[in-house]
Amino acid sequence: MSDSASSFPGRALRRRSFLRVAGATVASSALLLAGCNDDDEVAPVTTNSNTLVLTNNTVGLLNYLYLLEQLQAALFQKVVDAFPSDFTADDRAAFIDLRDHEVIHRETLKYLLDTSVYDINVGTNVLVFKFDSFNLSTRSGAYTAARTLKELSVSAYNGISRMVLESKEQPTFQAHLKLLVKMASVESRHAAFVRDQLQPNSFAASDVIGTNGLDSSKTPAEVAPLIAAYLPITLDVTALIFI
Amino acid sequence: MDFLNLLARLADLSSETEAGAAPRRTALSRLGQAGATLLPAVVAALPRPAAAGVLENNTVLDVLKLALTLEYLESEFYAQALALPNAAAFFGSADNRTAIQTVATHESQHVALLQRLLTQAGATVPTKPNFDFTGSKNGAQAALFPDVFTSFDTFLKVAQLLEDVGVRAYKGQVESVQQDSLLLGTLLQLHSTEGRHAAHIRGMRRQRGAVVKSWVSPSDAAITTAGSVPAKAYTGESSSAQYTPAPRLIPFDTTLPINVGTPALSKEALLAKVAEAFDEPINAATATELAQLFIY
Repeated sequence: MSDSASSFPGRALRRRSFLRVAGATVASSALLLAGCNDDDEVAPVTTNSNTLVLTNNTVGLLNYLYLLEQLQAALFQKVVDAFPSDFTADDRAAFIDLRDHEVIHRETLKYLLDTSVYDINVGTNVLVFKFDSFNLSTRSGAYTAARTLKELSVSAYNGISRMVLESKEQPTFQAHLKLLVKMASVESRHAAFVRDQLQPNSFAASDVIGTNGLDSSKTPAEVAPLIAAYLPITLDVTALIFI
Repeated sequence: MDFLNLLARLADLSSETEAGAAPRRTALSRLGQAGATLLPAVVAALPRPAAAGVLENNTVLDVLKLALTLEYLESEFYAQALALPNAAAFFGSADNRTAIQTVATHESQHVALLQRLLTQAGATVPTKPNFDFTGSKNGAQAALFPDVFTSFDTFLKVAQLLEDVGVRAYKGQVESVQQDSLLLGTLLQLHSTEGRHAAHIRGMRRQRGAVVKSWVSPSDAAITTAGSVPAKAYTGESSSAQYTPAPRLIPFDTTLPINVGTPALSKEALLAKVAEAFDEPINAATATELAQLFIY
């Protein structure tokens, strides 16, 4: 949890920076909006095919979650493709479940985004994520990787509530909220499971649950640097406004 | 932390007393104002979307009271178990007891947090009800779980039921607080803590031989009698039907490339995975009915 983000000075700062960003948007939005009429949702754009720029609307948020689900699905698929030799039958079954759930989440978000999904034109050239910082050939390494991405996912889903949107975007965001929270529940179950497998009884340890019994919550600005090493692209979340 | 900010904001409202209004109305009003005050001015100044499509029509006060009832329930359940004269033997192992202690600590923290939210908003904090976790209403009827504090397996079944209901109930209230981003955030953070508890309790049961996954699955062995009130804890959880906001049924079984395993799953098995991938909400009435099983 980020204490500084919600202190009163912090809030005031964010309000000021929001105005700055809003001002900047006026100048830059002409580019993004080229070819769109006012009613179109602005799709996030991939500039020079190497930077994913997320927009401050529901499309941007869903693409952010889509990327996180892609990342998780890819990790679990990689483990399933070559199970660690010390995996038990239960470990294998669990990782297949985890892989399937993440693929289902990923494809759900892609379906929700429809033509606004950021990699609509990617064809078969799907992103190849970089997991070389993990040792996926051992049980411990596979669960460590799973725990890392699961905690990011839980805190990212919890953080979506803090998005600040224009009024016309609020109904769209809220219309998606219920489905997103259904996925968030399962992410927290996954997180507890993989933590326990790695270290018994760590399902809700004090590194993730605060002194008021609240699970962690992170904004895209907090999550982006934590996943940068796994991404073959640059993720630009500077436009997303979170409190 | 967000909730501290929330508390501070709610506290700021305490001077805005509406003379002559009934206590409940005053609290509602304040909580309503809190909803607007908490949002950044840029959002608060804008018109709210129509309520169409919102399933629950609960006030923020209703949401907090329901949440407190469920947290009282969970907190008291674990406290009673940990206070058993034969607690060490009852839990079977130090690890089991440690896990229950962890969960119990969170539940009492949740109670305290919700009590503070209500107090700071000027609402009367509901007192803790009387609980009978055998479900006999203090002997007034046949017990549902007569050996809840003598059989660790029964205890874990009830724990799983309470935790899964907690996860579902929070999810059911999300729409009722969605206008208030900080309260929504707090609810989501409470909700995912409950999800962790539920997963762990399920893992404990699995270690003891129960057929149950850490996530809610159609393959889980039932812990209650089909058609009974306790079974409502899982009613609808096996659904694989999910909808876009349009609303449009998401075509898991036809269009989406989700059948990626080798060998490919049967349609039935694939839809079971879809059911696992989404937890379903319950509404306030169902959550209350389930809580009432243990309240007398």
